[in-house]
Amino acid sequence: MQSARLRQSEPTGRALLKGLAFASPFIIGFLVLYLWPILASGYYSLTDFSLFKAPKWVGLANYERMISDAKFWKSLYNTLFFTFVGVPVDIAISIAGAHILNQKLKGQPLWRALVYLPSIVPAVAAGFLWRWLLNAQYGFVNEILRWFRIPQPNWLLDASWGGISVIVLMLWTVGGTMLIYLAALKNVPQELYEAAELDGAGPLRRFWHITWPMISPVTLFQVIVLIIAFLQVFTQPFVLSKDPGLGTQTATGPGDSMLSYSIYLFQNGFTFLKMGYASAMAWVLLFVTLAITLLILWSAKKWVFYDNR
Amino acid sequence: MERKAQARAAHAAMSTALGAVMLLGGALGASAQDKTEITFSYLWGGAEGAALEQIISDFNASQDKIVVKGVSSPDMTKQLASMSSAKGAFDISDNFASNIASWSNQGILLPLDEFGLDTSDFPESIMKQLVVDGVLYSVPIATHNFQLVYNKKLLDEAGVTPPTSMAELAEAIKKLTKVDAEGNVTQLGLGLTDISAGLKTLGYAHGGDWNRDGKPTPTDPGFVEGVQFYYDNVVAPVTPAAYNKFVAGFGPYMSDQDSFKQGKIAMVFEGEWRAKFNTEAGMDWGVVQVPGKTPELNGSTWADVSTIFIPTNTQNKEAAGEFLKYLISPPAMEKFSHVLANLPGRLSLVDSATYDDLPNFKVWLDALKNPNTHGLPPALYMAEYNADLASAFDSVLQGAQTPEAALKAVADRTGSYSQ
Repeated sequence: MQSARLRQSEPTGRALLKGLAFASPFIIGFLVLYLWPILASGYYSLTDFSLFKAPKWVGLANYERMISDAKFWKSLYNTLFFTFVGVPVDIAISIAGAHILNQKLKGQPLWRALVYLPSIVPAVAAGFLWRWLLNAQYGFVNEILRWFRIPQPNWLLDASWGGISVIVLMLWTVGGTMLIYLAALKNVPQELYEAAELDGAGPLRRFWHITWPMISPVTLFQVIVLIIAFLQVFTQPFVLSKDPGLGTQTATGPGDSMLSYSIYLFQNGFTFLKMGYASAMAWVLLFVTLAITLLILWSAKKWVFYDNR
Repeated sequence: MERKAQARAAHAAMSTALGAVMLLGGALGASAQDKTEITFSYLWGGAEGAALEQIISDFNASQDKIVVKGVSSPDMTKQLASMSSAKGAFDISDNFASNIASWSNQGILLPLDEFGLDTSDFPESIMKQLVVDGVLYSVPIATHNFQLVYNKKLLDEAGVTPPTSMAELAEAIKKLTKVDAEGNVTQLGLGLTDISAGLKTLGYAHGGDWNRDGKPTPTDPGFVEGVQFYYDNVVAPVTPAAYNKFVAGFGPYMSDQDSFKQGKIAMVFEGEWRAKFNTEAGMDWGVVQVPGKTPELNGSTWADVSTIFIPTNTQNKEAAGEFLKYLISPPAMEKFSHVLANLPGRLSLVDSATYDDLPNFKVWLDALKNPNTHGLPPALYMAEYNADLASAFDSVLQGAQTPEAALKAVADRTGSYSQ
């Protein structure tokens, strides 16, 4: 009996080794390229480090410096502004667009493809395109506003519009979210709508009492994914904030309105060579992201509906 | 039988020929291997890169011990990353003087004193920027300074003569600025293609300095006055909103849509490279030295330097040193600076006839000898300080803060700079 067990365990042990060997590219990659840098950045955040010299222990000095660093707060404020304005607008446009795409229209596959098209354009190329579209003198956006006699803002050189321009560019790739919502809408049972209609519910009540709860798990996922993307925004403000004349990279925009958290982190790490401070900023961003995500997950009990409950 | 003999003979001949080719190839290969190959990574591209490649080619043809491979790599972050490893991707490279202090402090620049370079021919305003704590870390391949460039046609139309004093400059700006009936600016008397360079130059012209005795001095009275001059004479009369709306329409720098080329700005503080661009663009243009607040301050400007350095992690120190000496030798420097329409880094080249075909170039060349040409002492905090100054200037041009308040905010941040 015992020898039979041993015979059985031998192949199991070998199978484990084989399994580990096959999984080793991922395991080694994860340990070396992810876990080690994460742990190292935690240590560097407690040091004065520049990439070139050995780190010098400074304790919590980098975190303390953030309290009095006006640009740190400005970058955090800007990023939260992008996030808390951009994410709800993104969700609203996506849901509205998904409803339109869900109609029985001629050439529907083409419309769906067109909606997704901006998502496959590289962010840098899109940024340069939008720099021209938003140009206060010659841009198409202001030209359209002029037709409707709406005041035309100086999108890229007015401090009160710099942040909005970043959000506009971020929203350009709303098609991806829209298609996910379209799939969610298709999963809502039609009989629910039919029953509601028989009870005399109008379109708004049907949306609020059927569609919204039924797609709420997708909304939860989208909100978290979008919040993480907006909190890490880098490319869009980096490209939009280029000086219009010289083409030099200011990366902060008018009145520092495009200075995102990630850009300031990058500046500290690679321009000012303050990698210790940049590491500390990265950890603060992680905790901010974690706190917001946990808050949303906690609130989800009240607004996310799972039909298996 | 005869055919077999012929075939054998043919085989023998082919084998001999092949052997000879292989031997020759081997000999050539051995000769190439005897040379030390070094990599010169440069930030320039396009015409500048092509000019450097020509100089590299001249060097390679001139001697038999070293072969230089040129690589155009305009990414400064990549350049830094390469210097963080034990063995870098290049043996010699270029950058700007503003990074010398910080990089030498990180130990990534090789001290050049051991190469026995003769620096007596380099202008003092240039050398001041390259020596850190008495050690030479970098040498100039080209230098730059800013003068007042003007559109002759626009000045003639307005009946304005090139200004020679700050009062005349203010008057000229007034006459050359045009606003339409709806309040839109259609022409600026004085524009800024490089905001920081222009406002720093105005600071010097008012007797100020933004960096004294190795310390950042953003609230230096002359410096504040220079920024205030621009706001009072250029921005305020047309309102900040109208100013920024007009600036938003500026096309890419030194392109067909360039604001100066398009006649959108009549005067601008510009570097010497403009001489070539303006001429090739067929412009009717002129240049005068920057007018000062007082006659003694006439010609005030600041000099920037394109520098050559050797990273500490080079594996070919001697060969890199040899090539560096060649790059800064008078013939190579003259050729390079002339092709790019940059200023040389040697006083002995200031009066060279080589630059005679570059119109108006002499104004910039003469500034190399002018005591009012300022160079910044190397400082660790330059990158942070420049970023903060750029934010402050922007705040002033937006009309959000007075120059005094914006520059005071910079002063408040200087305490956290690397010293």
